[in-house]
Amino acid sequence: MSLALVFAVAGLVSVGTFLVTSRSLSRIVLGFSMLGHAAVLALLASGGPAGDPPLADQSDLETIANPLPQALSLTAIVISFGLTLFLLALARRQHLLTGGDLVEDDLEDRRIAYEADDNDEIGSAA
Amino acid sequence: MIWALLGLHLIGCAVIAGIGDGLGNRVFAVAAGAPLVTSIWVIGRVGDANATTAQITWVAGLDLELAFRVGPLAALLTLVVSGIGVLVFGYAAGYFANGIAGVGRFTATLLAFSTAMVGLVWADSIWTLFVFWELTSITSFLLVGYKNTDADARLAARRALLITVAGGLVLLAGLVIMADSAGTGRLSEMTNIGGTSAAVASVLVLVAAATKSAQIPFHVWLPGAMAAPTPVSAYLHSATMVKAGVVLVALAGPIVGDAAPWTPLGISFGLGSMLWGAIGALRHRDAKLILAWGTISQLGLMVALLSVGSAKATFAAIGLLAAHAVFKAALFMVVGEIDVRTGTRRIDELSGLRASMPLTFAVALVSAASMAGLPPTLGFPAKEAAVEAALGLAGAEKAVLLSGVIAGSVLTVAYTTRLMIGLFGSKPDHTASAVAPSRLAMAIPIGILGVSTLAGFVGLGWVTTAVRAAAVQLNPSAEVYSLLRWPGLTTALFISTGIIAGGLAVGVVLARQTMSEPRAVGAQAVDELVAGVLHAARWTTGRVQHGSLPVYLVTMTVVATFAAVPFALGIDTSAVYLSDNGTQLVLAVLAVAGAVASTTVTSRLGAALALGAVGLAVAGLFVAHGAPDLALTQLLVETVVVVGFVLGLGHLHRRFPAADQVWVGVRLTVAGMLGVAVGAALIGSSSAPVGVPPVEDFVAESQTTGGGNNVVNVILTDMRALDTLGEIMVLVIVAVGILALAAPSRDETPALEGEPT
Repeated sequence: MSLALVFAVAGLVSVGTFLVTSRSLSRIVLGFSMLGHAAVLALLASGGPAGDPPLADQSDLETIANPLPQALSLTAIVISFGLTLFLLALARRQHLLTGGDLVEDDLEDRRIAYEADDNDEIGSAA
Repeated sequence: MIWALLGLHLIGCAVIAGIGDGLGNRVFAVAAGAPLVTSIWVIGRVGDANATTAQITWVAGLDLELAFRVGPLAALLTLVVSGIGVLVFGYAAGYFANGIAGVGRFTATLLAFSTAMVGLVWADSIWTLFVFWELTSITSFLLVGYKNTDADARLAARRALLITVAGGLVLLAGLVIMADSAGTGRLSEMTNIGGTSAAVASVLVLVAAATKSAQIPFHVWLPGAMAAPTPVSAYLHSATMVKAGVVLVALAGPIVGDAAPWTPLGISFGLGSMLWGAIGALRHRDAKLILAWGTISQLGLMVALLSVGSAKATFAAIGLLAAHAVFKAALFMVVGEIDVRTGTRRIDELSGLRASMPLTFAVALVSAASMAGLPPTLGFPAKEAAVEAALGLAGAEKAVLLSGVIAGSVLTVAYTTRLMIGLFGSKPDHTASAVAPSRLAMAIPIGILGVSTLAGFVGLGWVTTAVRAAAVQLNPSAEVYSLLRWPGLTTALFISTGIIAGGLAVGVVLARQTMSEPRAVGAQAVDELVAGVLHAARWTTGRVQHGSLPVYLVTMTVVATFAAVPFALGIDTSAVYLSDNGTQLVLAVLAVAGAVASTTVTSRLGAALALGAVGLAVAGLFVAHGAPDLALTQLLVETVVVVGFVLGLGHLHRRFPAADQVWVGVRLTVAGMLGVAVGAALIGSSSAPVGVPPVEDFVAESQTTGGGNNVVNVILTDMRALDTLGEIMVLVIVAVGILALAAPSRDETPALEGEPT
């Protein structure tokens, strides 16, 4: 396996993870995009070494690259494209509603956590 | 007929639930209709060895069906359930003041319970049995918690539900094993099964029966269930629901009774409950609690006898079951009447009732005699049969059962004596209790039950026929036994005489003592357990579900990192080389550099451009790998994404908010770890290749069947055409979603720049 591709995948995964764990929705979208790139490259790398384009009439059968990961990757690219655009639309919507793009903590979850800490007897008749 | 009767019950429930509240106490007369018709129908079938059946098949291959079979045992039990049901409805009309709120709900639930109970004793398919078993749990929960504004009643109802429903799940497991081993879901077709499955099923069935029949240590729900109105206690906790466990033991005995754990476990449950229940009955001063603990004790004796399974023991247990239903219902009703007419049911507060409530006293005396096993009542021959059954055993079984029965019976006579003295005796330091006028609706059912206890002794021949037929259904050798009015001077009679003399002495002595009332330790333990579970759930939820998206993602990342360990262990370094070509190496470095840059720039536009640079580098990597189609798609997509970023985020502030960069150290660490883990997993996965990619086959296929030279295109549009269609659908849905999200609705004013910088 090509270490160059492994390095690209590992680097993109790291950066993508770092970005999606931030609070800004636009950075999260960036991170998703990076993770998408990493996934496609990983798929391609796991399918075998580089080679000639899989064109039956122009390439030598002995040296062409594995076509199946390419086909699967194409689907992956398109789906992550759709996902990125959808997230962007969500980010825009959030901006319209709240005026910012920070992902806040879920208030209901915080309430439950707070009450659990308080040893408050919610929902119990005892 | 079976369908008609069940339908009648259901119609009754529906009518009462609908218009019951407007009828006042006349609603009880409506409710008594279905049980009355059922009892009249079944009374002719009692003692008849032929069975009436009815079934609807739902899923034939799975044995899923509604199947009913009214044999001799079911007929006897139906008479108990429906007959006492009629009396309880009559009694309730006197017990409740006319026009109380919620009478419709109460009566409908009670009739629904009666329906469930009838279905339970008629069930032949184990699935039918299970469904009705659970229905009795649910309806009894509603009945125990009838006073839903009373916190104690709610707690008691919850305890009863938790324990009996947990038992129901155990029962389901046991029934599944039974059906699986026997090859049929019909109880009437099951034969004795053996082996490990029988042993497991026998334990499961006994535990289920113990939860329902309030056997130690699952008895803790029954005393609390006395929070229900007395008609409910008289019905559920004497005659019917708690008997369901006994019936289950009776039905399962012929099927799993030969398994090793069956008899020892059953005797342990039974005798333990018999003794502890009797001791509990001796310590309490609330008459209803005394009867409740007495029920635990009596049910224990039945469970012990049935788990022994000898013909005589089975016969005795059925006899006791019938006798117990009659006298225990009568005694509960008596206590309820005393409660209504004097305002208390505590035996240390009542005085002089023998004179002021003579008729009630007469019934109580007869019923108490039956409970203690004295002639001339139905309880006497049943108790004699039980002692005979114990005498008829051999070895350790005989020693254990006989001593248990004797000790339990002495205590039974003792608590009966103490109860009667406490309820009806005159206490020198008390003035006679004030007594309200009698209510006919309460007096009549009590009278009928009292007369039944006597009539059962007089008409013992008919009772014997009924009991014998039921016992023969379970154990054909029971054919030879009879309930006897006068057994003659047998060993059993001498033992019984000793029991009664001893019990009377203990009872009279204890009646004068003032004992401290026991605290409901078991019930408290259950409540604490429930509270503990709820607290643990809240604590866990609070820790796990704290609401912060970054923390969720960091947690998932750490878990995913560990998932890569097995791959990393299988790395083969010889499969690794630096790069396929120089271009690839350069582009890979460029892609990562662009990605890193996107994290450090503070302007949004800069980040979007950095993403674009990464996309271009990746497209270049595709070309270097030999994938021109991917490169073309990537370039197209990347262009649109950058445009999308500019359009979507263009109205945001130019720079990222400062509050965004939190926990940088932690995030860098976990992100780096995940990157290394994914890289290791990638190398690990290619270290052990399985075969060679069928590249030539793909090329050949795409040319011959696809008719194209671009193999990737043929795969997408021909071989995986349906997947590609799905992908297009995804894009359409995304487009529609984006349109919907992007269109501002009317009441929405675009927000101004409001975020902090």
